[in-house]
Amino acid sequence: MKSAQERAIMSRYDFRKSGVKVVYAFMVACIVLISLSMLYPFVNTFLNSLKSTQEFFAFPAPFFPSKFLWGNYKESLTYLNIGLHFKNTILIFAGNTFFSLTFLGLAAFSLSHLRVPIKKWITLYFLSTLLIPAASYLIPNFLNLKDLGLLNSYWAYWLPAGANAFYLLLLKNFFDGIHKELFESARIDGASEFRCFLGIAVPLSAPILITLVLLGFSTTWNDFYWSSLVMQEDKLPLAGAIYTKIIYPGSTINWNVRFAILSMTLLPPLALFLFFQKYIISGLSLGAVKG
Amino acid sequence: MELQLDSPIAKPGLRRRTRWYFWGLLFLIPEIVIFFIFLWVPIAKGVAYSFYNVDFVSGNSFVGLQNYSEVLSNPDFYTAIKNTLVYMGLALLIGFWVPIAMAIAVSELKWFQGPARIVGYLPSIIPAIVLYGMWQWFYDPVGPINTFLNFIGLESFDFYSKEHAVFSLIILETWQNFGSATLIYIAGLAAIPRDLYEASELDGAGVWARIRYVTLPSLKNLILLLLVLQVIATSQAFQSQLLMFGGGPDNATLTYLLLTTREAFTYFNFGKASAMGVIMFVVLVLFSILTIKIRKGGEEA
Repeated sequence: MKSAQERAIMSRYDFRKSGVKVVYAFMVACIVLISLSMLYPFVNTFLNSLKSTQEFFAFPAPFFPSKFLWGNYKESLTYLNIGLHFKNTILIFAGNTFFSLTFLGLAAFSLSHLRVPIKKWITLYFLSTLLIPAASYLIPNFLNLKDLGLLNSYWAYWLPAGANAFYLLLLKNFFDGIHKELFESARIDGASEFRCFLGIAVPLSAPILITLVLLGFSTTWNDFYWSSLVMQEDKLPLAGAIYTKIIYPGSTINWNVRFAILSMTLLPPLALFLFFQKYIISGLSLGAVKG
Repeated sequence: MELQLDSPIAKPGLRRRTRWYFWGLLFLIPEIVIFFIFLWVPIAKGVAYSFYNVDFVSGNSFVGLQNYSEVLSNPDFYTAIKNTLVYMGLALLIGFWVPIAMAIAVSELKWFQGPARIVGYLPSIIPAIVLYGMWQWFYDPVGPINTFLNFIGLESFDFYSKEHAVFSLIILETWQNFGSATLIYIAGLAAIPRDLYEASELDGAGVWARIRYVTLPSLKNLILLLLVLQVIATSQAFQSQLLMFGGGPDNATLTYLLLTTREAFTYFNFGKASAMGVIMFVVLVLFSILTIKIRKGGEEA
């Protein structure tokens, strides 16, 4: 990133002009306003979850609740068994991570460091799927899982998680950057290819693996539509359960209780983001490379 | 390239060749199988089902092009295409320039650059379902935005009416998505050599001229890339339309993909839905090829 003494588009000289000063002040004001509008919904959601219903609809609505009603959180549990759905989400996430990273990692390692016949065609077999928009096979994908008898089972997530050409491409690119000599010397020392993968390639690619795990987490945590199709009732992950039980259009559940549930759903990704900022942001620029 | 010292071609024989390729293939086989079952089979099935009447009880029956002709004669099909195009256009018009402007502004900040970046990205980490839950309330007739409008003496704004629905969606989507694009642009801005600004300033270029003739041309490729990505993403939009408006009022927010999922999971016309998927596939792949061609042509010129 840019260091402090380096200039940007504007130089120190520009700041002597009054016109530039005005525009700059306006710009800063805009950024502050936008930042506030970014933060407001978070704060508002949380504070609303602690209000009573009367306070919620009072006019003008107070920003802070007069009393913190933590009881809303307790009440929300009667609408939704959050613990159960949280467990489902974690189960799906853990399985997805395990299957996708293990098998994709092996395949990417093979493509970049092992002897493979017709390598070009096999690579094409994997990566050409990137061109096909996911939405266009949404329906047949569902029918396919139904034919396989996987509906309402965690395998409907775990196995397809491995069919991710984007992750494969990222892993392969990363493995390509590891020097071949490392593996050659390990082989001479008698390491099997599997040892090479597990002992050298995996530890060296920790950053990309962490990024992919985080990406996987946000995908699982976010997905409500697909899960509401594939899973039922007690097996739904949290987002799917909220979709089918709490926030469908025309829901009549009290707003403050709804907001309590939303606050709880918001917390894990927020915490993860604040902890793993660096990896999430690097994952983002990877996403841009996808096209 | 592999070292060819121990080439299987020199000493032919199936066993030798399998040993030579053993590990490479062993590591690939699980993924080859997974990709086949969960990507290539559904894609092929999608094309196949589009010619069938899919019936879970009495079995599938071949109907030829009937699905396609039914899809094409459905007036909703054209409404959905029109809505999708309008949505894509408005998203470009209202949402596309915001991250560019924001990125330039934020990277000009002298203080608090770090927090400004993070704050813009915060909405992107909100799970979609929470986002819609929040905005259902913000757009509510008695929600905070309308309360505020009343407070400063303006009339309430009906975010859910037929005319405003698309507009409401775009604001919501822009609010959520602009942060990630901003961060990508900021990374692009950081890569522009400072000497260029220095030189153009010495040549007498003002701040606007520097942005116009140095910054934006340097970002050209990134802007094009994000443009293509946004077009592809918005053409597949349906989740916010579904959750905020359920496709209504009066089909005002019925997008192409929403119609597809409706055919499938409300009316159980899986054959018709597959046909719509195939049509979408053809259009989007043509679009991708076209943009690749244009970008290649642009580089050669």
